Amino acid sequence: MKHILTFTLNGELVQALTDDNETLLDFLRNDRNLTGTKKGCEEGECGACTVLIDDDPVTSCLILAREVEGKNVTTIEGLGKDGKLDPLQQAFIDKWALQCGYCTPGMIMSAKALLDHNPHPSEHEIRDAIAGNLCRCTGYAKIVEAIDSVAKEYGGGSDGKNIQ
Amino acid sequence: MEVAAMAKIFNETEQFNIIGTDYPKVDAEAKVTGRGKFAGDINLPGQLWCKFLRSPHPHAKILSIDTSAAEKMPGVKAVITGKDMTGEMLGCVEIDKATADKTPLAIDKVRYIGDEVAAVAAVSEAAAQKACEAIQVEYELLPAYFTPEEAMKGDCPIHAGMEKQFDYLGYDVPEKNINQYNIVEAGDVDKAFAEADYTDSHVYQTQRISHAAIEPHACIAKYENKEYTIWTSTQSAYLVRYWIAHALSVPENTIRVIKPLVGGGFGGKLDVFPHEACCCILAQKTGHPVKCVLTREEVFTSTRVRHPITIIIESAFKKDGTLLAKKCRHYLDAGAYGGTGKPANALSIIWENLPYKIPNIRMEAWRVYTNNPVGGAMRGYTSCQVHFASDCHMDEAARDLGIDPVEFRKINAVEKGYKTASGLKVTSCAMKDNLDAAAEKIGWQKQKGHLGKGEGIGFSASGFISGTGYAVLTTPANCSNFTICRLDRRNSATIYSGANDIGQGLDTVVTVVAAEELGLHEEQVKICMADTNLSPFDTGTLGSRGTFLAGNGARRAAADAARQLKETVSAKLGVPVDQLTLKDCRIFKKDDPEIGMCWHDAVWTYEEEHDGEGIIGKGHYSHNDTGDEYDGFCKGNYAPSYSFSTGAAKVKVDEETGAVDISDFVFAHDCGRPLNRRAVEGQVEGSVQMGLGYALYEDVIIKDGKVINPSFRDYRFPTALDMPEIQTIFCGDPDPVGPFGAKECGEGSTAPVAPAIANAIADATGICFNKIPINPEALWRALKEKNKK
Repeated sequence: MKHILTFTLNGELVQALTDDNETLLDFLRNDRNLTGTKKGCEEGECGACTVLIDDDPVTSCLILAREVEGKNVTTIEGLGKDGKLDPLQQAFIDKWALQCGYCTPGMIMSAKALLDHNPHPSEHEIRDAIAGNLCRCTGYAKIVEAIDSVAKEYGGGSDGKNIQ
Repeated sequence: MEVAAMAKIFNETEQFNIIGTDYPKVDAEAKVTGRGKFAGDINLPGQLWCKFLRSPHPHAKILSIDTSAAEKMPGVKAVITGKDMTGEMLGCVEIDKATADKTPLAIDKVRYIGDEVAAVAAVSEAAAQKACEAIQVEYELLPAYFTPEEAMKGDCPIHAGMEKQFDYLGYDVPEKNINQYNIVEAGDVDKAFAEADYTDSHVYQTQRISHAAIEPHACIAKYENKEYTIWTSTQSAYLVRYWIAHALSVPENTIRVIKPLVGGGFGGKLDVFPHEACCCILAQKTGHPVKCVLTREEVFTSTRVRHPITIIIESAFKKDGTLLAKKCRHYLDAGAYGGTGKPANALSIIWENLPYKIPNIRMEAWRVYTNNPVGGAMRGYTSCQVHFASDCHMDEAARDLGIDPVEFRKINAVEKGYKTASGLKVTSCAMKDNLDAAAEKIGWQKQKGHLGKGEGIGFSASGFISGTGYAVLTTPANCSNFTICRLDRRNSATIYSGANDIGQGLDTVVTVVAAEELGLHEEQVKICMADTNLSPFDTGTLGSRGTFLAGNGARRAAADAARQLKETVSAKLGVPVDQLTLKDCRIFKKDDPEIGMCWHDAVWTYEEEHDGEGIIGKGHYSHNDTGDEYDGFCKGNYAPSYSFSTGAAKVKVDEETGAVDISDFVFAHDCGRPLNRRAVEGQVEGSVQMGLGYALYEDVIIKDGKVINPSFRDYRFPTALDMPEIQTIFCGDPDPVGPFGAKECGEGSTAPVAPAIANAIADATGICFNKIPINPEALWRALKEKNKK
């Protein structure tokens, strides 16, 4: 069955038809052509499909598109403003925190959720926050370094949420 | 061109503008924004989806296939089976056409669980999947073999008629189901054993693991104007072109392969796969673009795995620790097909010759067909298996002889100028420095004998080829890189290279090497990579040849273009060519920078003087010094250069649970000159991650030919919480032949990880494991057994 879905996607109100059994991941990739959100395992284990739903990190392969009715969804394409990268994206570039880059969008979304909730994470808290995002290339060292560098530079601003 | 002659045309070689600085990865922004396209991200209007029906049986005859119900289902546009195949095969390398053994879809029989039987193109993935389930296949089961031992005695050939293809140099191999046999002999092994003070013999066993690149294999193909165009997640665009053309029996010039971003390969995307061939067939048949993205389960069961190998080593030493001779026999579980797994056999005995001096050798390997998932190339290409065995073996010998494990390795380590008994010529080598540096960093002398309960420190050493696979690929033209450099007036150059970046950073290497040579900034060099219609031939990303071959090709192409630019300026300004240099978009006199021309004017001048002809530089690289003893397979100089690695691990074993905590991992690496330190550190850190999983828990478990853990839920590899701090130390000098002195990194560096950890566990517990993974259960059982005694 088709279903009319209304929700906010990367700051814009979206109204679209979705199949009842379509995952949010397939909806984003196939219907919205937002292919920055990656498909790696389709069972919530690799984290490549991580998006933010109302600021919480969610593996979009495990929920149906229709479950985000009325909610606020942010994908990797929604980070950064006016052609400028988000500090996390810039840090991933500067620290060589990626190789093949397939896990990178999901990794950055998990990192963003962490820093939004906890601007001063310990190294263990950073590792814990990305433990659900598998990376086969990097050994994670430079990813942890990149997230930590953003926390050090921007963490704990006036509203504690200035990672935009 | 000879190295010395080439060096004369290179720009300044010791004062670098970019090499060694902190430049970014050229594709990083595309990746952090999610804008970069991987194969599965490419959607074309009107595209169909392809799905496969796969064999549920490990070995069976196909009696009949009925596709009529599937064809009638809604949204289904085409169904193909074995009868749509030409009978031609997919295989390993171009020259090995005669031994290729896999039709894209099975004809007459299936050889493992997951073998491709039929393919469907439909308007959605779900419709294609449903149609696959509606195909009726009648099978007659055949005897199946799940270990090399069973298969070598088995009367039912998995590939009839292939038994004698390996039969060369007069060696008679009586066993059955052999896909490949190799041997290398030198010196007098029997005499050395007879004269030795100490001999030792052990059997080692390694497991099957998955490459587990986070991007599943994917492709999309279209057919227009009698040309197939395929975007595919591959490590070699040219190999895909060759084998698809071969399997479809169409001319190679009707196939264009474009490699988009690749989400990790590790060897698992080197083979040419049925989904690539079938999407092309289905695109031609339906007139629509056809896309296929394998599921994670399919990646586990039906792509490639690391070969499990049984390794039997016998070695002979003098009392003072000098290694006199080594005999070994390797039995590789090939799984059902050949593909890129074939060279693994010869390579496995080549690795036994590094990184220690061994004057007398007899080494044999059998790659045996079984009805298991297919073994293929994987990061380290059997060196991980072999170095686990040989370096655990070295530790045991060191203990028995009462020699410190670091000293023992230094006594036997190969050095610059050494030629192995099998013919490998070591031109640069910092093996001893590696060992000293790793021992110092981990605090070996201080901690030795003073470690706490359950603690242990272990070392390992390994060597790897840097640059090519000549001895296996047979001719230089089969393993070469050719690069074109085109200069543009607008302070820029474009590099056309067939090199395949699979995430490791090869696009960046090619860019910065060319920019360095041309005196341009990194962002002023554009690249056109791995598109068989646009970029010249490159063998592919295999055998640690990316940086070495493609980097050398790019440097030479840039140098050839720079030469033409310098000659133009020289003629115009009356300054001898050898007094000119390039930097910051200018060509000027070295000792008087005021005298010179800007890039734009120099290129313009050339074009004016040549009636509009532009400047094109050409560069190529292939290794062609195989040595006098070259025998086509195992003997000879396999590569232009070799990298060396030392791992040092400190572990704490929880004797209650059998869990191992790695508190410290030091990695000393001789990779020549690192072109970018962070990039090389990233390769090492990733290698340690893969090696750690290999040592401690990764295992693709098979029951009667069926993978029982084909998911990331049941197949665990290290997460961010599992990784120790890794300290990387660079040792060694710039390599004389590598681009700007670089050697390989990232592939050979996986090999020393498992033996360092196993040796540390042995130091902590007194138990020498001859089998990996050393998971908590295995360790707990071994401790229990030991305490009984």
